[in-house]
Amino acid sequence: MDITFKDVSYIYQENSPFAHKALDNISFHITSGSFVAIIGHTGSGKSTLLQHLNGLVKPTKGEVTIGDYHLSNDKKIRNIKELRSKVGIVFQYPEHQLFEETVEKDIAFGPENFGVEKSEIQSRIQEILPAVGLPKEMLERSPFDLSGGQMRRVAIAGVLAVKPKVLVLDEPTAGLDPRGQKEIMDMFYDLHQKQGLTTVLVTHSMEDAVKYADHVIILNKGNKYMEGKPEEVLSDQKALNKVNLDVPEMIQFLLAFEKRFGMKIPYERQSVQKLAVQMQHLLKGAES
Amino acid sequence: MNEYMIIGQYVPGNSFVHRIDPRTKITIIFFFVIFVFFANSVGSYGILTAFALITTFITRIPLKFILKGLTPVWFLIIFTFSLHLIVTKDGTVLFNLFGWEIYSGGVIQGVAISLRFFLLILFTSLLTLTTTPIEITDAIEDMLAPLNKIKFPVHELALMMSISLRFIPTLMQETEKISKAQSSRGVDFRTGPLKERIKAVVPLLVPLFVSAFKRAEELAMAMEARGYRGGEGRTKLRLLKIQSIDIWVYLLFTCVIIGLFLLRTY
Repeated sequence: MDITFKDVSYIYQENSPFAHKALDNISFHITSGSFVAIIGHTGSGKSTLLQHLNGLVKPTKGEVTIGDYHLSNDKKIRNIKELRSKVGIVFQYPEHQLFEETVEKDIAFGPENFGVEKSEIQSRIQEILPAVGLPKEMLERSPFDLSGGQMRRVAIAGVLAVKPKVLVLDEPTAGLDPRGQKEIMDMFYDLHQKQGLTTVLVTHSMEDAVKYADHVIILNKGNKYMEGKPEEVLSDQKALNKVNLDVPEMIQFLLAFEKRFGMKIPYERQSVQKLAVQMQHLLKGAES
Repeated sequence: MNEYMIIGQYVPGNSFVHRIDPRTKITIIFFFVIFVFFANSVGSYGILTAFALITTFITRIPLKFILKGLTPVWFLIIFTFSLHLIVTKDGTVLFNLFGWEIYSGGVIQGVAISLRFFLLILFTSLLTLTTTPIEITDAIEDMLAPLNKIKFPVHELALMMSISLRFIPTLMQETEKISKAQSSRGVDFRTGPLKERIKAVVPLLVPLFVSAFKRAEELAMAMEARGYRGGEGRTKLRLLKIQSIDIWVYLLFTCVIIGLFLLRTY
């Protein structure tokens, strides 16, 4: 589903001493099927922005369009439930939303609310468990007996079981160990490609953005600061430093390499191994 | 709805009212609450209303904001008003409302009681709006200090109060966060039959309790790690001191109360 923000502003607690402008006149377009990273510091409006994506909040000004659904301040949203079944949000620390007696019941909670049939839910659970890396024996256990990382996976499975068309991820790897981080991000990327999802990743990890996204939007204090292809946006050191962000290590390395040897290696999401081979080729070629 | 809850919320500022000693504020509110029940004439209600409104004005918190924050209370005020309107049968019949005779006494009674209610809530919420929770508990601890003599755990009580006050906004935020997460999973908190809506509270309450217990445990651990061991021999960062402005406030308040007794009918 295409997502369009048109001149969207959002003000918290309007008309009170606490009034606070979280989003200021933001416009952008996300094409169906793309992987978009939204980057920004704490308080840049990332979390507010993502709550617009399934109608948890309505823009104070402007309009948000998601597929055929329109959100604006003066209109009541029709079929909000339908919209929410199509846009799945994995919130920050999603394990805080677990509540059922067993893992199985918790994963089934979302699809049940959206009226998916029992047999269908069962087959979805069987399909999702291996994808999120949970063994089948865990279905009967209480989610509160699991480790933090496992709880996270259960919560993610609960969102995926709804089979959304748009997947919104709010720092899905925060607080996980490095290996868990990689596993979960790879899992999302895999799903993104296999099921043709539109994925919106809200993060402050530049590494994740450059690795997975094909479009990057940088927010700063509620404004859109930069937008474009990750390899372009994320190599602009000056502009990034201005908002206290850093160029991702991979691109930093490529820039340093270019400076040192005068040879440019384009960034095309190559793995470290592949990059090493490329460098070897280039340097050997230069020698002979 | 949560956005407009102001009960227990502190609005930072540096107005005259903000600077009054919290003990003074609590004392004055205590007596104000008592004396509101003595008002029985236009003049006596007038002087109390004027006092409350002027105090509100001095705090520089917009009245509109306070009124909006009292939304849940408005319902109660309107309910009491209507009840008095219908039930009281004093004075002359004013008009007929759907077969109910509305008496002039009912109108007067209704207005008086609602105004009393409004004044009570407005004035008491001024305390929390202009005083940080820590100041309030410090004041209460100080005022209850004599009870220490009979082995009443004053410090522990004050600590419990300040912790619960401190965690109201945190729990509210948590509630909002979880309710958003569950709404995204298709829970409908706002519409549908009552039975369904009550059932919808479970996915909200369970995570809320889990996180509250976790938080309590972490807090206890952090306090112990920093060597907390109760009130005995503990010194205070902020010492409460009665200043000249407090004396002025007491004098002014006494004048208002004298005015009240002069204006009320006997």
